[in-house]
Amino acid sequence: MSEPFTRRLRRASVRRLRAWAARRHGVDSLPATINRRRIYILPTRFGLALAALLAAMLIAALNYNSNLALAFAFFMVSLALVAMHHCHRNLSGLSVDVNLEADAFAGADAVFHFMLRNGSSLERGGLEVTLEDEKPSRAAASAPPQSDQRLDLAVPVARRGVHRWDHVEIRTIHPFGWFRAWTYVHASLTVFAAPGPDGSRPLPAATGSGHALAGEMLGEEEFAGLRAYSPGIALKHMAWKALARGGEAAVRVYTDFGAQPEWLEWSALEGVETEARLSQLCRWVLTCESRSARPYGLRLPGVEVAPGRGPTHRIRCLRALALHARPGGP
Amino acid sequence: MKRRASPRTAEREVPYRELRAVGACLGLALATHVPRLPTWLTVVVAACIAMRLFLAARGYAAPNRPVRLGIAAASITILFLQLRTFNGLSAGTALLCLVAGLKFLETHARRDLSALALIIYFLCLSALLRSESFWLLMYLLGVIWLTGATLLRLTPSAPRHGWPLDLRYAGRISAQALPVAVVLWLFFPRFDAPLWQLPSERGSAQSGLSDSMSPGDIVELALSDEIAFRVRFAGAAPPAEERYWRGPVLHDTDGRAWRSIGPAPESGKILTHTGPAYAYTLSLEPHAFNWLFALDWPDQWNVPGAHLNSDDTLVSGTPVSRPIDLTARSHTHVLTTDTLSSTARRRDTRLPSDRNPRTTAFSAELRRSHPDDLGYVQAVLDLFRREEFFYTLLPPPLGDDSVDEFLFDTKRGFCGHYASAFATLMRAAGIPARVVTGYHGGTYNPYAGYWIVRQSNAHAWDEIWIAGRGWLRVDPTAAIAPARVEPGLDGTPAIARGALGFRAHVPWITDLRLRLDALGQIWRQRVLRFNQLSQFSLIEQLGIEEPDAQKIVLVMAAGLVLAFAWLMWQLRREQRAEPKDRAVIAYGRLCRKLAAVGLPRRPHEGAEDYAARVGRARPDLAAAAAALCESYSQLRYARATAQHEQNLEEFIARTRSFHPRRASRVADG
Repeated sequence: MSEPFTRRLRRASVRRLRAWAARRHGVDSLPATINRRRIYILPTRFGLALAALLAAMLIAALNYNSNLALAFAFFMVSLALVAMHHCHRNLSGLSVDVNLEADAFAGADAVFHFMLRNGSSLERGGLEVTLEDEKPSRAAASAPPQSDQRLDLAVPVARRGVHRWDHVEIRTIHPFGWFRAWTYVHASLTVFAAPGPDGSRPLPAATGSGHALAGEMLGEEEFAGLRAYSPGIALKHMAWKALARGGEAAVRVYTDFGAQPEWLEWSALEGVETEARLSQLCRWVLTCESRSARPYGLRLPGVEVAPGRGPTHRIRCLRALALHARPGGP
Repeated sequence: MKRRASPRTAEREVPYRELRAVGACLGLALATHVPRLPTWLTVVVAACIAMRLFLAARGYAAPNRPVRLGIAAASITILFLQLRTFNGLSAGTALLCLVAGLKFLETHARRDLSALALIIYFLCLSALLRSESFWLLMYLLGVIWLTGATLLRLTPSAPRHGWPLDLRYAGRISAQALPVAVVLWLFFPRFDAPLWQLPSERGSAQSGLSDSMSPGDIVELALSDEIAFRVRFAGAAPPAEERYWRGPVLHDTDGRAWRSIGPAPESGKILTHTGPAYAYTLSLEPHAFNWLFALDWPDQWNVPGAHLNSDDTLVSGTPVSRPIDLTARSHTHVLTTDTLSSTARRRDTRLPSDRNPRTTAFSAELRRSHPDDLGYVQAVLDLFRREEFFYTLLPPPLGDDSVDEFLFDTKRGFCGHYASAFATLMRAAGIPARVVTGYHGGTYNPYAGYWIVRQSNAHAWDEIWIAGRGWLRVDPTAAIAPARVEPGLDGTPAIARGALGFRAHVPWITDLRLRLDALGQIWRQRVLRFNQLSQFSLIEQLGIEEPDAQKIVLVMAAGLVLAFAWLMWQLRREQRAEPKDRAVIAYGRLCRKLAAVGLPRRPHEGAEDYAARVGRARPDLAAAAAALCESYSQLRYARATAQHEQNLEEFIARTRSFHPRRASRVADG
């Protein structure tokens, strides 16, 4: 009976505190350095129990008029106070950076890469990054002295679309678990959740005007990357620089933009249910990206992604799929 | 009965290593209580811990609920049946130890470890509630340190260090906690009276004299090295034959044992103290009764509520459950004009009619030749001296007519036997006699100037009533074993040593013991007896006049501010970046010296540019500045060479000896 109430109360007070903190500090520019003014600290449940115990210890020691017991009790009190300062200091001066946008497929995890920069000569132990959601996502690490500690926070995203958070919480209960110090980094974190790739329909391109792969292989238009060298390829395509750097023998590959782009069309999947349709398109995007060097474009109702190739283009396509019929895109 | 940890619980489950560490800390905390616990309880607690660790080592979860509840219910019931209460320190501690074991048995989540940490802390405190040992405090602080290091390993994604680093960090936090703790301890207001009355701990394992004596009792004490009290004389100490520390007086006898007659009323006698006076301070260890063991015969004392009872023994109003200091003055002799009331005379001449017939007959015969009381006493003492009486701590066992058997058959015994036999002989002759128990002698500690009186100094002697003179002390043991009255250096009778052969007399060990005891006395007086008066004198030493409780609180607040300022400074200092390269420090010195002659380095300027500018402005410094800046660049940015250290030292020395003069003086010259 009381549990839900206390939990509700706690959640409500945390929400108010957070709102107050947000008003106080505004939106942070990253990397954000955690100064003392924005660190909050409260005893944990363990700490509260310890406080009660310390009170009992003091009363017992005073009552038995035992100087030794009193010395011990005061030592414990002092230890708790010092531990509180250590806990607070664990965050103070930490610098936090993170990629503000992450891409994911619905049903899988989006990953935010945090960079915890510890410029002090102290180890910061047990730093936990939390993204509040229906189920909070957590990741924890320790930042060794004078180092940049990378911390990957995996956020499961269930639904396709845009997911946003306006803050991330960084907390620690190091050293003894008696106190929890925490801080909010106010920054807009966005996950673009593309539909999970699905469907087994063949690429529409296979039926269109076929283009010999070899033709693109050594095209002359635009540099597209390196491929492993195989005997018989003209030496003028060799990537000498890569070889000189100690890499493997490779040839430069150019995309022949003269070749006709592949169009992944919403309309090609007439009669399929929307999400399944998007999943199929997503699968096609991934296939096109991985299998052929040919540019591809995406046509959705009201949105057209011009043909292209490469990681940026892929993400552009996936975000278009993520945002389809979902308001709130960038 | 046992199940494997399911994968779902596994992630919150405590890993074996951490469980083991907490188990070790718990074991160390429990160890301090083991001597006072019932043996079966120790076994149960140890078994619980061992069982849980055994299961965890093999990847099993804790025993299931019914098993745990069964063990808990059974052991708590047995404990209650044994103690009849859970109130009071002994019972409460026993229960706490049991709960610690049971909690460890059910530990499966990290949260349980938190609870165990709290239990460890309270176990430590309760150990200190009845100890006064410096070493115990140190030991328990060590336990706290270990527990802290263990807690460090329990926080989620704590840095994975080895124990040495965790111990170092926990040690650093503990060290930083000391100043605040010391300030709190020194200045936190103390109460004279406890907040509420404590259940008395009578009858718990405290050794010492009791209110009865049967043959063999004192032997147990005689073999105990425990300290009864320490005493420091203001002037010279009285000679050994006057160092009788008076305890309970025994009146009733059944022919074998002697008993006191219950709490004696306050004395109404008028005493005239004569003879040399001795002032002394007696630091009494706690025992179960009220006796203060003042030297015979006290006329002044400082313990509130203390009084002389009708047996002339100084007693306190309540049992001496805490160590106390008694400051008193005693005279070697006392005279009284009082007469012995008929009730008292009857009481102190009574003997059981059906016991010790041979003694009665012998006494009647002796009395006929010695009608004078004092002559009779002398005759009895002569008997002890003349006949083959031996002093031994291993006397043959005696039956119900113990005085008969002792006087005529075995002739072997110690103070209890002689005091009992003497009093019986006196009473048989109609002379009022009583047995006095207490301590006699003591060991002088030359390092601290006080006497140590141990339980092994427990003694029994007699007092006889002589009309017109009052109660006279007679120590029949002295007639047999002079060594008993004039003890050796360590205060134990020479005969006892010989008889038992275990108390080897090694001078340097004795010496070491005395030195340690002297240190212990400082500890006791400075730390254990620290109270409000000590606080007052402390803040008087700080220059605050007319100290009162309010001023103490103010001093505490000021002390806390200082202690926290120190803490902040410490924390800042730790957090500061790594110490700078020594070359940078030396370069900084160089720049300051140049700045002092009007050539500060601009923030953007590198070493070479700076040297060039200095050279242009002050051609006289050009060579030196260029060379120094060149060295600096080499030290900082060139690849380290074998001569790096040497070059660095050289550079530092040169920056030290570089003394640019002001431009104006150069112009003057």
